[in-house]
Amino acid sequence: MDKLQTSPLRLENVTKRFGSVVAVERVSLEIPRGSFTTLLGPSGCGKTTLLRLIAGFYELDEGHIYLDDKPIDDVPTHLRGTAMVFQDYALWPHMTVYDNIAYGLRMSKTPPAEIDQRVHETMQLVEMPTDFLKRRPTELSGGQQQRVALARALIVRPRVLLLDEPLSNLDAKVRQRLRLEIRSLQRRIGITTIYVTHDQEEALSMSDIVVVMNQGRVVQVGKPEEIYRRPGTAFVAEFLGVSNVLRGEVAEDGKAVRVAGTHIPYAGVPGHAVTVVFKADEVEPVTTDVQVNDRVVIEGEVLEAFFFGAVYRHFVNVAGNTILVDCPARLETQHVRLAIPRDKVLIYSET
Amino acid sequence: MRRISQEPSVIITLAILVGLMLAFIVYPQVQVVLVPGLNGYVEFLAGQTWVKPLFNSLQVMCLSTTTAVILGFIYAYAMVYSKMPFKPFFRVIGVLPLLSPPFVVAASYILLFGPRGMISYYVFGQSPNILGLGGLWGVQTIAFFPLAYQLIADVLSRSDARMEQAARNLGAGPWQVFRTITLPMTRPGLLAAILTTAIYIVEDFGNPALIAGQFTVLPTQAYGLISGFGDVTGAAVVSTILLLIALVLYLAKTRIEGQRSYVTISGRAGTIPRPPVPMVVNLFCFIACSLLAILILMVYGVLFVSAIVEVFPVKWTPTFKHFEFLTSNITPLRNTLLYGTSAAIICALFAMLLGFLVQRREWRGKRIVDFIAIMPAAIPGIFFGIGYATAFNQRWLDWIDRGALITLSMIFWNIPVGYQAAMAGLQQIDRSLDDAATSLGASSLRAFRDILFPLLDSALLTGFVTAFVRAVTTLSVVIFLFTPSTTVATIKIFQLVNDFMWGGATAFTVSVVGVAVLVLVFVWTLSGRRVGLQRAS
Repeated sequence: MDKLQTSPLRLENVTKRFGSVVAVERVSLEIPRGSFTTLLGPSGCGKTTLLRLIAGFYELDEGHIYLDDKPIDDVPTHLRGTAMVFQDYALWPHMTVYDNIAYGLRMSKTPPAEIDQRVHETMQLVEMPTDFLKRRPTELSGGQQQRVALARALIVRPRVLLLDEPLSNLDAKVRQRLRLEIRSLQRRIGITTIYVTHDQEEALSMSDIVVVMNQGRVVQVGKPEEIYRRPGTAFVAEFLGVSNVLRGEVAEDGKAVRVAGTHIPYAGVPGHAVTVVFKADEVEPVTTDVQVNDRVVIEGEVLEAFFFGAVYRHFVNVAGNTILVDCPARLETQHVRLAIPRDKVLIYSET
Repeated sequence: MRRISQEPSVIITLAILVGLMLAFIVYPQVQVVLVPGLNGYVEFLAGQTWVKPLFNSLQVMCLSTTTAVILGFIYAYAMVYSKMPFKPFFRVIGVLPLLSPPFVVAASYILLFGPRGMISYYVFGQSPNILGLGGLWGVQTIAFFPLAYQLIADVLSRSDARMEQAARNLGAGPWQVFRTITLPMTRPGLLAAILTTAIYIVEDFGNPALIAGQFTVLPTQAYGLISGFGDVTGAAVVSTILLLIALVLYLAKTRIEGQRSYVTISGRAGTIPRPPVPMVVNLFCFIACSLLAILILMVYGVLFVSAIVEVFPVKWTPTFKHFEFLTSNITPLRNTLLYGTSAAIICALFAMLLGFLVQRREWRGKRIVDFIAIMPAAIPGIFFGIGYATAFNQRWLDWIDRGALITLSMIFWNIPVGYQAAMAGLQQIDRSLDDAATSLGASSLRAFRDILFPLLDSALLTGFVTAFVRAVTTLSVVIFLFTPSTTVATIKIFQLVNDFMWGGATAFTVSVVGVAVLVLVFVWTLSGRRVGLQRAS
């Protein structure tokens, strides 16, 4: 398939309410031409609603959506050119694979000969053998169905491709493979793509840009590496990985945070509550009790240990808090001393 | 959900549908309520002629509903829970009464137990007076227990077998399971079934007209006032009282249904079998159902025999003369088929499109339109009929063909069954299927045509069959609308029974039931048996 006409997308203060519930609140985003952007967040965070607003399945309550710098707020769904791939594939059971894929071109009154040619091209693109064309969707496996669904959306050469958790109904192996295929396909044809998922691994491995959402708002926008290494809030940090989240407060002198029986240098308002976050795999057992400046050292009792394959995951009681510690070797003693590099400990002041 | 402001074609379609509903559902009903005027109400209500019929109506409603529900419950319990033999046979017997006008039970009752009845006179030599409360009670019990059975069986079969198995698994006996799990879970559904049965019984016109004699109930009083005295005002007041009763029952029913109900909607609960019931219960179920089945078979058997012998039950010589009479008076049967078929087709399509717009699109006034579409389910047939008679029996509307008017009344009286079938069908189809079509460039109506319409075929057929059966078996809706050339079969039967022309009456009845059965069987084969009857509820 040749490089296609694809468009940048801009959202401006987009708001959607359902009754008294604000599903999406004042979301503004720039989605560059040809980028792969992922909306990431827990269920109910508004990511799917936002995708449907872009598709035109819902009408905006406030704000504007621009495609190619032209507002599309009043353009009905079927004229937007924003083809969508759905979580449950949404293939039409009463049509063959061929008719499913050809549907969009028939709507635009494309000549049958061209339809036929493009159906075959697109099947190749999604790596499906063409003898599947005569089958019914129900005769296909989940992975094959999702390839057909992808082909059905791609064939119309949409200005923006929308994917709504397309892999979440598939088993782990198929999911891993399709994830890579979708990404490389997207790179090859260069189509602006918006991808919705609640799986942080999927988001990090596929995207150019990750948009983390929570409770209808955008919490952080950035490259996967940025988001992962420098999460902007405690929520993002917690959502992105196996993290320890502890509550602490700023000491009276305003120069340290008191948490889990230790002090960490930090400048803040005395008595102010803070959230302290660090990843389970950043924690290391140490033998010395020397407090080094660039390290935070804590002590605790190992409660349980589980073998996870690559690591042992330990549950450790530290001054009444249970934290997770991932180490390649099992901690042998019950009483342990643990160290976390200071720059891996993220401290967020509560607002 | 999507709003419709962006698509003019959707707005126009909706405007047409709503306009037709306003004209043919709302306007005639408002007419009936308004036609007496304030003075009319005051005068008529002061005359107190309505007090006795009102009391009679409520009395017979309570009696008949109680007995019909008890019998219906036994039949339903046996069908859903017991392991009795011949279940398919009992299932067919239970559907049969839904395919015939309810008032044929009264006709059959007269043939069996009347002054010259086969059993009363020719077996016992008695000539009893069966007219009145007792006869009506008995007849309505038999006429409506199959309906109660259908409604209750529907509720019971949707209660989750896994919950019952879980209770058995924890040590509860069959009776304890029934008392502590099944009954509490199905209670809202059962109460709703009782109220629906009560609505059908209190609205029933044919049975009381044939068998109640001096025991006047509201529907027969309304009919008598118009046909005997031309008193439209009085009839309007009386049927408005009847409407109020039906509305109260209906609102109570929807309230109860709105409560927590623990039955599954998807019908997937049947993956594990229900816990077995004791042998003695199986035996009791079998005996009870056999007796009830014999009763039903007797009712219809008598009609059938009467249609093929000289004079039932005096001259038993087989003859075709009643069917010859039918063929020389074929117009009513032809009309029934013509009006019933066209009404059912239009009704099913209309309701489906409306269901789509209500369920899949967002627009102002949706709840009111939803209410209007369901409303005819609560409107007594006699009220609906009077509504059409008063609203459209006007000189400036003379150009409207009477057959078309009858068809219209059948369409809009049956909108609720088609609408509910459509809504149930749409709920089974994930929204992403039609969203996928619109995101690929199909307009809303195009997506409806290409995706939903083909997938809703069984809901559409359910709507069609039910509307057809109800259209060809209704008497009260059309009784004020017919002219000699537009008579339908139910009216012809009613007239013939009133004239004691039993042979002709029963020949017509057998034909109507036969036609209904044929259509049902045809649709069943067409759909691979996926289609059932939708109850108006």
